[in-house]
Amino acid sequence: MENPGEGTRPGGSFAVSCENVSFSYPGSERPALSGVSFGLRPGEYVGVVGPNGGGKSTLVRLLNGLLRPDSGRVRVVGRDPAADPFEVREHLGILFQNPDNGLVAPFVEDDVAFGLENLGVARQEMRDKVARAIRAVGLEGYERREPDTLSGGEKQRVALAGILATEPEILVLDEPTSMLDTAGRREVLRYLKALRPEKTVLHVTHHLEELTDADRILVLNGGDLIADETPERFLSDADLLRENRLVLPVVPRLALGLGLPPTRLNTPEELAEAILAGAESGTRT
Amino acid sequence: MELELKDVSHIYAPGTPFEVEALRGVSLVVEPGEVLGIVGGTGSGKSTLVKQMNLLLTPTSGEVLVDGLDARSLKKSELRRRVGLVFQFPESALFASTVEEDVAFAPRQLALHEEEVRERVRESLRVLGAEELATRSPFALSGGERRRTAIAGVLAMKPEVLILDEPRAGLDPATRQELLALILGLREAGISVVLVSHDLDEVAEVADRVCALHEGRVRAVGTPAEVFYRDPAHAPATVRVASLLKGSRPGIGAPVRFKETLETLRALRGV
Amino acid sequence: MTSRSLGQFYPVASPVHALDPRAKIVATAVVVVGLFLIDSTVGLLFVAAALVALVAASRIPAGTFLRLLRPVLFIVALTVLIQVLFSREGATLVEWGIFEVHSGGLRLGFFLALRILLLVSSAGLLTATTAPVALADGIEDLLSPLKRVRFPAHEVAMMMTIALRFIPTLGEEAEKIKGAQAARGADFSEGGPLRRARSLVPVLVPLTVGAFRRADELAEAMESRGYRGGEGRTRFRELHFRKQDALALSITMLVLLVGILL
Repeated sequence: MENPGEGTRPGGSFAVSCENVSFSYPGSERPALSGVSFGLRPGEYVGVVGPNGGGKSTLVRLLNGLLRPDSGRVRVVGRDPAADPFEVREHLGILFQNPDNGLVAPFVEDDVAFGLENLGVARQEMRDKVARAIRAVGLEGYERREPDTLSGGEKQRVALAGILATEPEILVLDEPTSMLDTAGRREVLRYLKALRPEKTVLHVTHHLEELTDADRILVLNGGDLIADETPERFLSDADLLRENRLVLPVVPRLALGLGLPPTRLNTPEELAEAILAGAESGTRT
Repeated sequence: MELELKDVSHIYAPGTPFEVEALRGVSLVVEPGEVLGIVGGTGSGKSTLVKQMNLLLTPTSGEVLVDGLDARSLKKSELRRRVGLVFQFPESALFASTVEEDVAFAPRQLALHEEEVRERVRESLRVLGAEELATRSPFALSGGERRRTAIAGVLAMKPEVLILDEPRAGLDPATRQELLALILGLREAGISVVLVSHDLDEVAEVADRVCALHEGRVRAVGTPAEVFYRDPAHAPATVRVASLLKGSRPGIGAPVRFKETLETLRALRGV
Repeated sequence: MTSRSLGQFYPVASPVHALDPRAKIVATAVVVVGLFLIDSTVGLLFVAAALVALVAASRIPAGTFLRLLRPVLFIVALTVLIQVLFSREGATLVEWGIFEVHSGGLRLGFFLALRILLLVSSAGLLTATTAPVALADGIEDLLSPLKRVRFPAHEVAMMMTIALRFIPTLGEEAEKIKGAQAARGADFSEGGPLRRARSLVPVLVPLTVGAFRRADELAEAMESRGYRGGEGRTRFRELHFRKQDALALSITMLVLLVGILL
């Protein structure tokens, strides 16, 4: 992997880069992050996994200046988030885990407008951007709804619209579906997937099935960056999964047990096809 | 204990413009020593259903029977001791200054001797694998540790039936595995577990029977195979895979658990 | 409970509902001050008639509106009773042991009762015809000139909107925690007031801690979305002060003036 320190000036080859970044919470014995280095290129979709307490949330907060590293360099679109947080926040938006605690206003459209208000955008332009963002998450008609009348999935979509309204190029998703039920998760992932072609995404999650299309997967454990692999290599590495307390979803796990490639087989339909195809051609493992 | 719901209906805010019929004529039995999975989408009535079981909510019509007796004839505290309910995200109700103080809350409400209380706290924490947390503040723990503390707090009442509403929600995969093992362990110890879950794969792994709710009604109840194979489109991944193969491999049977599904599929490929 | 139900807001379309909240807030303030300047019962009755007309225009059902007055009925009754029993002005009407009822007492009692009812009714009409969010916006706008003397008008308004947003959420959370503790054998209805207060600890502590946690997460989310206080901020919602609002305000002042003169 090339040195992410290079090309961190605006227009350089990395949208986000961390160079030897370390951080400890005050009063804590162990560092939350130690010497982490990686780079995120424009348009890439990178997953971040690892056990709780391993540094994932800390990393997210270092990327937009909520936290300042103890040592090392963080650069987002060429800028230091700790020094220019508001500049960085125009280019990097974070979708947090708790659907309730990201909504600040009493109505959906007001909340979506919040980021635009902070940027001092003129009212007419705000109205247009809010309408567009609400469309992008499929919530037309919800403008005057109150947050407590929404489902978890709907709340996260409102939060997502709020972030999209200010049109950041980079999206950081901090376990956006872990507090949602199956239906909510499906909704949110559907709209996130539609954004892939236009955004650079860093997706922190426990659900490995959300990362099968990722370009790369980073593993953070105990504050160290243990691995930076493609999903193929990652999902086939049983030791890596075990050591980092990661569990494959059912279908890839079945595939693995049958000697079939786990990454290309995510849905029951795909697995069933592969089994039939294999059986017909007489392949065995 | 045999816990039975007989034709239970529940209406929220009756007679107001906000009236909602959450349960319509639900009849269900929780057998002693079984793990009963309750599944259904949002709005199916799962959470409303389990709150009828310890009379946190009273049925608008129908009865709740504990070993054949009307649950309303029991003292509420007695009923809630025997039927323990762990809410979704139960750690939001932790309040004491130490874990052991919090877990001791329920036994103390039962007016047990202090020695008995301490013993129960120790035992519950042990079952949850949380003994080292005893003297820590519940507010300084990780999510998984807080979840364990909250469950221990209900277990300390030594309930005969333990209702868990989405017990693994929001936890990391390793902790989720541990909780699954806990559920099986509880059943070994003779406690009936009612598992409310939107995660069909998790229900597939541990349930002895499954009850599927839809819009406040029981859509199906029976063994996991009976319930899930009836509607394979809304079933755990294992069932969906096996169903898809049934056409070309009619002898495939009806595997539900991961292990038996893998064995079945392996045998298939060996053909 | 939704934030709509707070302060008894009654959502219906009416010319009163459509008025700018700033006009309504100022009008209410004018009425409150005016009511204390009126010293004749006739004056109060005149204002009362105007208020009745206004309630009719607001399309709020009379029954619903009268229910607003229920909490103060006790105070009103008490006030009247005190005046009736202890005032010695005017002709004696009834004598009963050491108690004497004088005509002056009756008149004063009625006057004071009417004033209390009018005060509560005006405030009630304000909250019934103005959505909480609109109220917050109105208050923010009216307070904003105070920014020049370093009064945190924007912060106050932000706090109000966030409170409105979270009241239903916290309400649900409180219900949930109560349920969880009840499931562990807690009983909130037993015992005297001290016992009951103590039984609320397992609800209030986690609710408060949870609220602080929420506040932390909300602050992170707000900062991440570029929030840095009121400077340079534009506002999505708009308030339009129109002719009707100026007219309504003028009429209100006129009515109070007449009342004072009567």
